[in-house]
Formats: sequence, C-alpha cells, structure tokens
Amino acid sequence: MEFLLNRYRNLTVLLLAVVAQLVLLAYQVKSNGEVRLIRVWAVTAVTPLARVIETARSATSHFFSDYFVLLDVREENQRMQNELDRIEMENQYLRTQLDTAERAKALQIFQASSPSKTLAAHVIGNGTGSGAKVVIVDRGSVSGVQKGMAVIEPYGIVGKVVDVYPTAAFVLLITDPTFAAGVISNKNRVRGTLKGQGHSTVIVDYVENEQKLDPGEWFYTSGDDRIFPKGLPVGEAAVVRPGKTHKEIFVTPSGFQNGLEEVLIVMDGVHGNIPEAPANDQRDQPVHLLAPPPAEPSEISAAPAGASGATGMPAMPTGATRTGPASDADRIVEEYRRIGEAEKHVYGERGTGAPDYNAPAGITRTDPKPADAKPKDPAKQNP
Amino acid sequence: MTEFSEAFLEPRKKDRISKFNIAAIVLIPLAAILFQVYVPRFVTYLSYLELPLLVTVYFALMRRSPVQGVLFGAGIGLAQDSLSSHPLGMFGIVKTLVGYFAASVSQRFDVDNPLVRLVLAFFFFFFHQFFYWVLSRALLGEVVPFELQQTLVLAILNAVVAVPLFHILIS
Amino acid sequence: MLPTEEQRAQPDAPARIFKDDTRFALGRIAVFQYAAVTIFFVLITGFWVLQIRDRQSNNELAERNRVKTVPLLAPRGKILDRDGRVIVDNQPTFTVRLTRENLRMEHIPAIAAGLNLDPDDLRARVIRIQHQPKYVPMTLKQGLTPGELAFVESHRDPETFPELELIQSQGRLYPRDGFAAHVIGYVGEVSEQELNSADFAKYSQGDIVGKFGLERQYNDILTGVDGQRRVVVDSLGVERQRLENTDPVPGHALQLTIDLDLQAVAELAMEGKRGAIVALDPRNGEVLAMVSRPAFDPNLFATRIRNDDWKALTGDPQNPLMNRAIQAQFAPGSTFKPIETVAALDTGTIDENFTVVCNKGATFYGHFYHCDERHGALNLHQAIVHSCDTYFYTVGNKLGIDAIAEYADMAGLGKRTGIDLPGEASGLMPSPKWKLQTQHEKWYAGETISVAIGQGAVQVTPIQLATAIGGIAEGGVWYKPHLVRTDTQPEPLRRATWGASAIAASVNGMCGVVNEGGTGSSARINGIEVCGKTGTAQKVSLDLAKSGKVGRDLAKENGWFVGFAPKDNPEIVVVALWEASGHGYASAPIVRDVIKAYFDKKARLAMPKPQQIALFLRPQ
Repeated sequence: MEFLLNRYRNLTVLLLAVVAQLVLLAYQVKSNGEVRLIRVWAVTAVTPLARVIETARSATSHFFSDYFVLLDVREENQRMQNELDRIEMENQYLRTQLDTAERAKALQIFQASSPSKTLAAHVIGNGTGSGAKVVIVDRGSVSGVQKGMAVIEPYGIVGKVVDVYPTAAFVLLITDPTFAAGVISNKNRVRGTLKGQGHSTVIVDYVENEQKLDPGEWFYTSGDDRIFPKGLPVGEAAVVRPGKTHKEIFVTPSGFQNGLEEVLIVMDGVHGNIPEAPANDQRDQPVHLLAPPPAEPSEISAAPAGASGATGMPAMPTGATRTGPASDADRIVEEYRRIGEAEKHVYGERGTGAPDYNAPAGITRTDPKPADAKPKDPAKQNP
Repeated sequence: MTEFSEAFLEPRKKDRISKFNIAAIVLIPLAAILFQVYVPRFVTYLSYLELPLLVTVYFALMRRSPVQGVLFGAGIGLAQDSLSSHPLGMFGIVKTLVGYFAASVSQRFDVDNPLVRLVLAFFFFFFHQFFYWVLSRALLGEVVPFELQQTLVLAILNAVVAVPLFHILIS
Repeated sequence: MLPTEEQRAQPDAPARIFKDDTRFALGRIAVFQYAAVTIFFVLITGFWVLQIRDRQSNNELAERNRVKTVPLLAPRGKILDRDGRVIVDNQPTFTVRLTRENLRMEHIPAIAAGLNLDPDDLRARVIRIQHQPKYVPMTLKQGLTPGELAFVESHRDPETFPELELIQSQGRLYPRDGFAAHVIGYVGEVSEQELNSADFAKYSQGDIVGKFGLERQYNDILTGVDGQRRVVVDSLGVERQRLENTDPVPGHALQLTIDLDLQAVAELAMEGKRGAIVALDPRNGEVLAMVSRPAFDPNLFATRIRNDDWKALTGDPQNPLMNRAIQAQFAPGSTFKPIETVAALDTGTIDENFTVVCNKGATFYGHFYHCDERHGALNLHQAIVHSCDTYFYTVGNKLGIDAIAEYADMAGLGKRTGIDLPGEASGLMPSPKWKLQTQHEKWYAGETISVAIGQGAVQVTPIQLATAIGGIAEGGVWYKPHLVRTDTQPEPLRRATWGASAIAASVNGMCGVVNEGGTGSSARINGIEVCGKTGTAQKVSLDLAKSGKVGRDLAKENGWFVGFAPKDNPEIVVVALWEASGHGYASAPIVRDVIKAYFDKKARLAMPKPQQIALFLRPQ
C-alpha cells in the first residue's frame, strides 16, 4: 500500500484534490450550503490590496483633476481639443480624470441631500465568475453592510449587495441576468419590473401592451421591490414596442455609463420618506454628462379614469381600485360622464331636465355594431 | 509522473527546475487575481485575459512537479472561485487538472521553447474553458452554450499574451 | 509536433521538442495514467449525476428538481352585454406560489410584507396545509400587482427566497368603481366549506370559482378546463425540456341582457346615493340595467381578498355587499297604489268616478290616518296623480285585505321573481293567513288601511316592483326577469285575466303622475310618454320617527319611483330606490335619465349614417 501510494503519489494528490473539491461542490449544491470560510479568507486577502491600489489611483487622479480645475480646465480643454492627435489623446485622459473629480463631488452632494442614510464605498474589483455581473466594493460587514442592501449612485441605481465579507461586499449589478427591481415611469406612471440582460441595456418587463409609455420616458425605482427606496433614477426608455404578452422596453441604465468607481450603499432607505422624484438639487450640480433630472411627475394619475376618483362610493375601500386597462364598460361610463359634463347635466338630479345623450359632439361612442353591419361612425354624433 | 521517472530525470532537471521563493509563489498569483479583478473595470476587454490560468500553467511548467501543480492550481482556482458568485470548486477543479497536466507535460516537452509555450498555453486555455463548461453543465446542470469560435479566438489571444508573460516571469 | 527549420536555427531554442527520446517508453505509463484519470472522472460524474444532481428526481419524480407539472389555468368566459360589448374581461395575471419543500418559516414575515399579505394569516395557511405532501405548492397570491411582481422577481433567486414560484394565468378584469358589481359578482378561491358541497365537488383546493352574482350563478358555464404542461427543470429551476402539453379550454362567454348604455347611466345616476335601480324589458323580462349602491370593487376579489378589505366590506353598516336590487326589502309606499287601483276596479269595488274628500287624512276604526296634503275632493285618476293617501285608505278599506293580497300576489309581490341571481329576497305580502301562521294573531282591519298605501307589513324588492308594474303596464303579463340573453321569446310566468279597462285606468293614472303635474313630474321627457308612480315609504312608524328615538337616517323615508315608457306597449320599466332620500319624487329623475338613455340609443342606432364624403369638402 505504501508502495502504491508512493509510486502513484502524483495521481493520489490529484485525485485527493479533485475529490475534496467535488465534495465541497456537492455540499454547496445539495444543501444550498455556503462555504463561508474559504471565501472570507480569499476576499480578505485580495480586497485590502485592491483597496490600496484603488486608493492610490483615485488619489492620483484627484490630484491631477484638482490641479487642472485650478488652471481653468474649460479653456484648457478647448485649446487642447484643437491640437493634434497626440494632444487629443492626452486631453481625453484629462477629461476622464475630471469626470472622476466631478463625480466624487456629486456623490458627496447627493449623499448629503438624500433622505436615505447611505455609505460611500469604492468599487475595487470585478467578480471573476463567467457571465455574472458582479463588482466588489470595499465596505463590508464591519461597516454594517448587509446582504440585500441597495447600491446606488447619484445618476442611477447600481445593484444590490449579494454577499458580505468583513472588509468587502459583492454587488450584483442591474445588468446581471438574475437582477430584478421594481420601476415606475415618470410621465405615464407605468409600473414594471426591471431585469438585467447580461449586457449594457436592461429591460422593463410586465408592462401591458395597452399601457401608454413613450420612448424617452425615464424610469425610477418604485420602491415595490423593497430593495431600492422609491424615486431613484434608473434610466431612459430607449426602445418601446409592443411585444407578445407584454411591452418590450429597453432601458439604458443611467447609473454607470462611464464606469463605476464610487457608489453609495443604502443603509437605511425608508420608502415613505422618499419623494416621488429625486432631489431637485441634482439640477444644480456642476455635472454636464448624465441624467437630465426629470420633471416632477404630475399629481394626477395618467389613467383615463382620473376623474373617477371623485365618485362617491363611500363603501369602496380606498387604495385598491384597479389600474389596469379599460374594458368597454369603463369606456362607456366615461363617455356618459363626459356627455353629462358637456350637457351640464347631473345624473339623477331634478331641475336639469332629461339630457340628450345623442347631442354632444366629439365624444367617441362605444356603440354596438348594428346587425346590418353598419360601421361605427363617430361622425354621426355631429348635430 | 512516477517516482521512478523523476529519479531518472534528476540530473537533467536540476538546472531546469526554476526556483521560486515563497514570496513569489504567493504574490504572483495574488497579483494575477488582483489584475483580473481590478483592471477590467477600466479596460473592459482585458477581462478576456485569464491571467490566473496562465500563471497556473507557468508555475506548473516551470516547477515540473505534478503535486505542486495540483496544489497551486487548486489554490489559485479556489481563490478565484471565492471572488465569484458561483459555488466554490468550479475553477478549483479545473485549475487543479490544468496544474497537474501542465506539470506532467512539462516533463516531456521542452518548455523553454516559445512555440511550445504558445501551443501549451493555447491548449490549456481551451482545455480550461471547455472543462469549466463541462463541469457547470454536468455538476450544476446549467445550460450555457459552448461558444467554440469565441473560445478559440480567446485561446489564441491568451496564448499570445502567455509567451511574453512567461518570459517576464522568468526574469 | 515536429521541430521546424526555424527552431533548429535558433541557438537558444533547442532543436528538440521532446526532451529525451529515450523516454518515449514512459509514454505507455503516461497513457495508462491518463486513462485512469479519465475513468475516474467518468465514475465520479456518474456518481454525481445519480447521487447529487438527480437524487430527488429518482426518489420522487413529482418533486421540483426534475419533472415539474406547471398548470395552465383556463381563462374564465368573458361576460358581455346584450350587444356583445365586454363587461368582464380577462387579463394576464401572475400568481406566486410557495414551493414548500424549500420553504423556510423565517422567510414568511418578509414574504408577507413584500406581497402585502398578513403574516399571521399566511403562517396560519402554511400550517393548515402542512399535512399535504410537500411537493404540492401553495398558492400565495393571485393577480399580483406590478409592484408585487417586482418584489417576487427581485427576490426569487436561490440566494434569497427560493421558495417563491411565479406562474402566469388569466385573471378577472372587472369594470372600475364597482360598476355592475352586484350583478357580475366576483370569483375567489374555493373554500373548504364549498369543497364539501355538491356544487363544487369537482373542484380542488386553490381553484377559482364564482362566489357571488352571475359569476356564481353561471360558474359552470364560465369555468374552463385547465391544461397542464410537464417540463423538465434543472437544479436551479430553469426549464430545460418540455414533455407534453395539454392546452387549457377557456370557459364559455356569457351574453347578458344588460345594456351597457343604460347600465352606465344608471350607475352615474346612483353615484353617491344608497339604493338600487332595476331596468327591465317588460315584454320578455330581460334585465337592461341593475345597480345597487353602495358598491364594492370586485377587483378586490379577483385575487385573494385581503382580510382588511373583507372586514371593511362586511363590517360596513351600509352593507355594500348586499345587492339591493334583489335583496333590499322595503315598504313600497304609494307605488303600491297602481296595483290596488287595478284590484279595486277589476273587482268592481269602485268605478273610476268614485270620489273621496281628503281632509289631510281620515279616521278608520277609531284611528286617524294621515295624508300629506289636504287634497279636497278627488276621483280615482286625480288620486293617483296626486298620490292621495286618504283616497286609497278608503278604497283599501272597501276592498279588504284578501282581495288586495290576491291581486298583489298575481302581480308577483311576496314571492321571489326567480331572477337568475343567487340570494334573491322574497319580500312580503301580508294576509290574515300569513299573520295567523307566522304570528299566531288575528288580522286587524286597521292593518288593511296601512297595507292599502303600501305600508305596514308589505315589503317589496326593487326587482319585484319592476316586474309587477311592468306586467301591469304590459296588460297583465309577467315574465321571469333574467340576466342572460336567449334568442327565443320566453313563455310568460303568469297571465292575468283582469279587465282591460281596469288596467288602462291604472296606467292612465301613472301617466298623469308624470305628465299632469303629479308627484312624478320630474320624470317627464319631451316626446316620450313616460308613466310612473312615486312612493315614499316610512321605515319606522311616524310617531317613532318624530320622537327622535331613532337615527336620522332611519327616520328619513325611502324614495321609490317606478316608471315605464311608452304608455302603450311599454318597452322599458325602471324602478329606482333611493334610501332615506325623504320623498319618492327625488327618485323620479333617476328613472327619467335611464329611460331617456334607452330611447336615445334606439334613435341613435336607427339614425341614418351621414355621408362620409361631407368631411372632405373644401372649406369656404
């Protein structure tokens, strides 16, 4: 036996190593268990180094950008842009550095003004797995980071914390195929679910084909997912088209168009305290590159039956009325409501006399198609 | 390889087995992983470089000991797994095998030859990717398509990078 | 690989690829070694597949990890109005289920919070079905809102709440604001109690069945047959292979007699009021509109109703779940007079010229009975037009309770109309026999006086009143009111052999009510001969109301109005009940608006289509 082991020492070691790892894998797959210790070691070994490098790099870039800000960088940039290719490249670099500086500033302003309690963190690395969109940030359980916390930056949401180690945390980006979050559009107040695709654009799913949504509309977090506080920018709807069961909406995330460096981990985001639209002071920031702050969303819901909120239904429990598409019944009620308004007739009231339901023009009627196949003709409403 | 063959090769190997000090053994893989984790944030296409793999191959080739290749591969693979979101052991097993085979192969091929290095790096990258795919399909039941063309191109890319990299690592 | 010329030429690249050709012999050992490694891996993989990945599926095929049966829920049939316009539609909805084999009880509060469920209720439900096999999933919530959908999608990863499972189905889409809610009814998950009853024997836990209204009445027609899809899933729950599909069969659509135009107007006319509207076609009993207010939102039930909402609905003193059109039983007040008129004339008790002098009431059997006004001397027609109680006290007294009850019974009072809705109330038409049976007391002649003006123990439902008056207006033919359209003309329920002149006098009286400055003047429509009768009915005795011992609401009288048009061969009869409105004339405009909608629509559809080309004429 000893001879055999000796003779096949290499093979034995190989088999041992592989079997040990298979057992490890089996344990994780079968019992959904997590082998924390090895990960903690590895992460704790790698992240401080990455942090050192990142700190050094950002310190250098801040130094440079501060320097150029002093030199009135706009003119500098303008001049440089007109120069030859060599200088153009240099300029490109400087601009990147400037962005970094402005971003850091924006982050501070946002952090100070945001109602949520946030923690600034540096992105110190990418996850190594294939396909998964994961970044590593330099804050961990020591700083109070917990799994499931939202990660944002001033221009948009970034992702959520999926794994926490003492000195680092893994953040699943919104572009990851397994990522999902609740969003709402700013103009038509359309709610949907944001899903990552594995590449730079994300989609918004589960929006009914009947619902109105314009390309260029901005999506914000809706707070429904219980991860992101309500009202954070997500991105702009680049493409909106009807799909098979639901609308196909492609969104360009506004969060990390120019790379990720500093992010905010939302430590305490209470939905109720989050305004509908993000803080307006974003507008005042000296930032020229991203995310035009959206207009305040209108107070009136965009649903066609907006007025029906005023109907006297004492027994109807509030807040639970349907928001989905309208049926013929809903449409016809609206038609008659508008006829009543046009005729200044209050239904069921004395004094006004009987209304003429056929008189008001400009109200499209959902009349049945007569049996003799006369096409529906709105023009016949004209007196 | 067997005890016997190693003993047999002893006189020749002596001058060929590269000596690494402990610091290098720890720091170089760490740097490779760090590189993979950190640099692609700024230069996206550098994420296609599998530096940890190349370093594994390099160590195994230079040390020529399957045992060390196995341990080294397993170590670097597990470290890589730790920084990913998939179960621990996937990269570990693959790199263990790479380490073992690279060390075995090194005993039969002249690993100082740049062309041989190129071919070996190409082969091991492909092996690594393919085996990883096999593992995730067989063990995790994940259905991901194997992109042959892309893998071949990346294998060439990594092989091209490997040759000068090995050269730098030697000096 | 063979060495090339270039390699030979390079001094520091050795010319050999193989380090030592003599070691080729060792190749055999190497081959053996690799073969051993390969075999080892084949074995390991086989072991893995059997023991780790597929273990559960080998043990129990139905378990989640391999073959999974995904139900394809059949959509219920649509509910359409008489013209085929959609009242109740279906919409794709999402249902979240709990796969209980990987459920962790500590996740329940978080899941309940994200899905707006009551955590205690959810925990109780989980415990309740604990005896069932683990692989049977539990329906957590149906009809997820976009927000809840976002919650499920962002948390159902293996790391967070792997027990959440999303399936798509077709959910009910009811009109907004409780439109026709009581007619349509609602659906819900079949209850344990229902499962034990014969009606629901074929259903199983978690199935959606009609619970109320037409959804309940025609549940079997509306319900489709569910299909199913069997799929192979991997250990991450990702679908890998489809085995077989059984397509769902949708339920049958239900075409109602309801006319959305009339229903819409009726709904708008009842906004903010408490009461009911029933519009019938007296020629066949088709219900054209039926409203009951306050209403509820059936969309609350389209999914599992929240406990809070249910408590709010059931605990509401206004009782929004009651379909007042068929369940509210109130004294008809003066709307009873047309029936009494027919009885009095047909029996020959009086003739049309019978005159009574009204002194704001009269004394019968030693008790003074009030009238609203001092009407002076009136004949029958004037008495109906001005709704003189004194006149009808006198007539009732002459007629006697038995005759009154006989004619009222023929008109359909005191018994269910048989409308195709569950839970209809029967109303009450008192008689000496009834009193003896139920109260073991003798009938007092004074009671007849009260009954004569639709007070006392008389109780009707709006649907009864509409049927009764509609049948009289039609010449003494009563049809069973119904909500589902049939192509054939139904057989009448009853046909009275009453004198045509008696009926005509009653109808003429009702025309006077609207068109001769009577109590129902506000129901007047130019160009349409609307007839009708107001009714103001006390809920408690006048003395009690004046005493202030009862609530203001109870003391206030209910306002009835029953109207039909045209006078000859009426096409529509409408009853409006406005509870606690104070007087019947308040209900007249409600009826007017509904009748006008009927005739306007008729005119609109008959109107010739204007020429399209006119739109393209060159501007002047």
